Amino acid sequence: MPYTAETFQNEYLPDGGTEVNAIVTVTSTPDGPVAAGATSVIIVDCSGSMETGGRIAAAKAAARAAIACIRDGVRFAIIAGAGQAQQIFPQTGTLAVASPQTRDQATAAVGRLEARGRTAIGSWLTEAAGLFAQRPGDICHAILLTDGENGEQAGELEAVLQRVGGTFQCDCRGVGTDWVVAELRKVAAALLGTVDIVADPAGLTADFEAMMTAAMGKVAADVRLKVWTPVNSSVRFVKQVEPTVADLTGKRTEDGPRAGLYPTGSWAAESRDYHVCVDVRAGQVGDEMLAARVSVVEGGTVYAQSLIRAVWTGDAALSTRINKQVAHYTGQAELAQVIQEGLEARKAGDDGTATLKLGRAVRLAAESGNAETAGLLAAVVDIEDAATGTVRLKKRVAAADEMALDTRSTKTVRVGRAK
Amino acid sequence: MPATPVPESGPAAIESGSVCPACGEHGTEGAAYCEGCGARLTGPTPEPANAENPQTETAADRGGARSCPSCGAAGAVGGDGYCIECGMLATRERDHIEIDASTPGLPAAAVTDRGLRHHRNEDAVWLVTRPRCGDVVVADGVSSSFDPDVASALAVETAGTILGQDTGPDVVTRAIAAAAAAVAALASEGDPRRRTSNPACTIVAATVRDGVITCGWAGDSRAYWVPDSGEAAQLTTDDSWVTAAIRQGTDPAAAWADRRAHAITAWLGADAGTVDPHVTSLTPAGPGLLVVCSDGLWNYLTGLAEFAAAVREHAGRAAGGPAPMLALTRSLTEYAVASGGQDNITVAALRLGG
Repeated sequence: MPYTAETFQNEYLPDGGTEVNAIVTVTSTPDGPVAAGATSVIIVDCSGSMETGGRIAAAKAAARAAIACIRDGVRFAIIAGAGQAQQIFPQTGTLAVASPQTRDQATAAVGRLEARGRTAIGSWLTEAAGLFAQRPGDICHAILLTDGENGEQAGELEAVLQRVGGTFQCDCRGVGTDWVVAELRKVAAALLGTVDIVADPAGLTADFEAMMTAAMGKVAADVRLKVWTPVNSSVRFVKQVEPTVADLTGKRTEDGPRAGLYPTGSWAAESRDYHVCVDVRAGQVGDEMLAARVSVVEGGTVYAQSLIRAVWTGDAALSTRINKQVAHYTGQAELAQVIQEGLEARKAGDDGTATLKLGRAVRLAAESGNAETAGLLAAVVDIEDAATGTVRLKKRVAAADEMALDTRSTKTVRVGRAK
Repeated sequence: MPATPVPESGPAAIESGSVCPACGEHGTEGAAYCEGCGARLTGPTPEPANAENPQTETAADRGGARSCPSCGAAGAVGGDGYCIECGMLATRERDHIEIDASTPGLPAAAVTDRGLRHHRNEDAVWLVTRPRCGDVVVADGVSSSFDPDVASALAVETAGTILGQDTGPDVVTRAIAAAAAAVAALASEGDPRRRTSNPACTIVAATVRDGVITCGWAGDSRAYWVPDSGEAAQLTTDDSWVTAAIRQGTDPAAAWADRRAHAITAWLGADAGTVDPHVTSLTPAGPGLLVVCSDGLWNYLTGLAEFAAAVREHAGRAAGGPAPMLALTRSLTEYAVASGGQDNITVAALRLGG
């Protein structure tokens, strides 16, 4: 599908300057019928703890709602997660084609889910990956619901993520407050999905509906950014910075001389921002260099290209200008980082560091107009002065509030939404 | 017959379409790159990848026929002007431009150069001669404005075109007024940043008609008459803070030392208000040189006597060789570069009276 790519940067560097920063906005503009097929797998945690507080009943209702959203013709399956993965619809190792009839059958199968056993997320993902492997080229999407900490051997989940990373996208949801944010974030990051908390099981249905509707809106699978850099240059990082912060640097695969591909997952009609930072060899005053060429690649075809330039100048008025977009997203990435560090310090009992980090977060959220994150922070700290980041840790914080702040810390806002 | 500009001795303004071929951005006259997408507007047109034209690689990704002047890689300059190996931009046309516009009876040449400290050349020059007629326009982009290089290129082209087509009285005033209107209009087209910091430039335009020099200006780009013998004259009076301060009685040394000294008090641009150019005329008694330049040169030769002495010295050295006018303007430019090259340098010279 057609894309546009646009660069925002201050290309002027001082004499000797070597760091080039730019925000690249990629926008997709679907114009025709969906070209790729789609496969969806719903994974529901059925460990013993799901009996608590009506979670299993809520999970069943949510799964049914998600099934109702699956478009005719889409391949799908339902997996019950316990000590090992158990496919409950259709037959083990196969995919159903969505129709009124198969949706009814799947809904009936969901009614038979029972909560018993352990949590083994790695084995559930392995099972899902096996199903997706039958549909190469499809837009592959999974929903993972869990309520507890992974019970597999240390390192097992990481090994699975290493193996299945990039083969499908997975949106992760934690219900209740007994699951571990860092663990699910790891899964979501490796599988280019979202992570969120659904503290109250009653909220699951709406959330599953929203996730499945978004998945059905995807029209292109496996869109990548190709970043070319000249000799003696290196990519310091490539981060998605809007709608959420996601570091793609480590996901690079080489693609010809001096170019690398960074996966961005599947796309609907949407717009995302990427922060690209390149270290180059300093040029002479007056030199102009192409520091990077960023291409949007889908299925081996280049659909849009944008240039990141470096121009060395002796004019300090130009080189000291800070690009608004770059500054804004540098702040948003720092906001996510200080929230996570602050909450970690708080858990470790280091109140000094926690106050400092969360204070900085309050200030960054206020400055950038990130009202949603500011609201989540207010549940964890008492804010004396947002402008200076003066805060006090709340004595008692609901676990759900803390986990909501943690999971949603990566949510960013665009430039210009600030007051 | 009123002649039209001669192509080979024509304007230094870069010819380019008003619409970027890569992204469709409007209002990019004179720009070497599109402000919308950064695509190179001059030289070979890049083949953009787009919906109608998807491809696995674009012309920009592949090398071309030219070798890279920076790293020497053979055939490495891609379709967008950058080296596919080291990334360096091969050349920018406005970095250094020379014009030899000599016609019999009116030897004339001009050079414009980026200098050493600015990343691009924001000066522009127009020089055209016909028998017993010469038109010269110099404009210097205001660096603190957005797209000053676009402003200066448009100013010289607009004014120069009118000087070449229009023979009536007050042609210099009308040429500057037209340039003022064109530059002012830039603020409302193209890159939205132009609205907050509108493109602006100085201008000095001079005509030679049957031995009579007419000169008009706004800003601090200058015109001088340097006769072979006798006293030189500065035809322009800078529209600058320092000039106004000295006129009002400030001690010249103190005025020049003030950090506002070089701030200009008249210019072309959307924020300039009504431009009321000063115009002056001179009928030289004997042979000599009309020299029109930007402050990139005269900043190193601020006094009139000093300036005239330098022009005579460089002219004397150039006199014996081939293309003496080009040699003169070239060596004055080199003098400014050797003196520090802090600003863009433009110098045009026309020899009157044989």
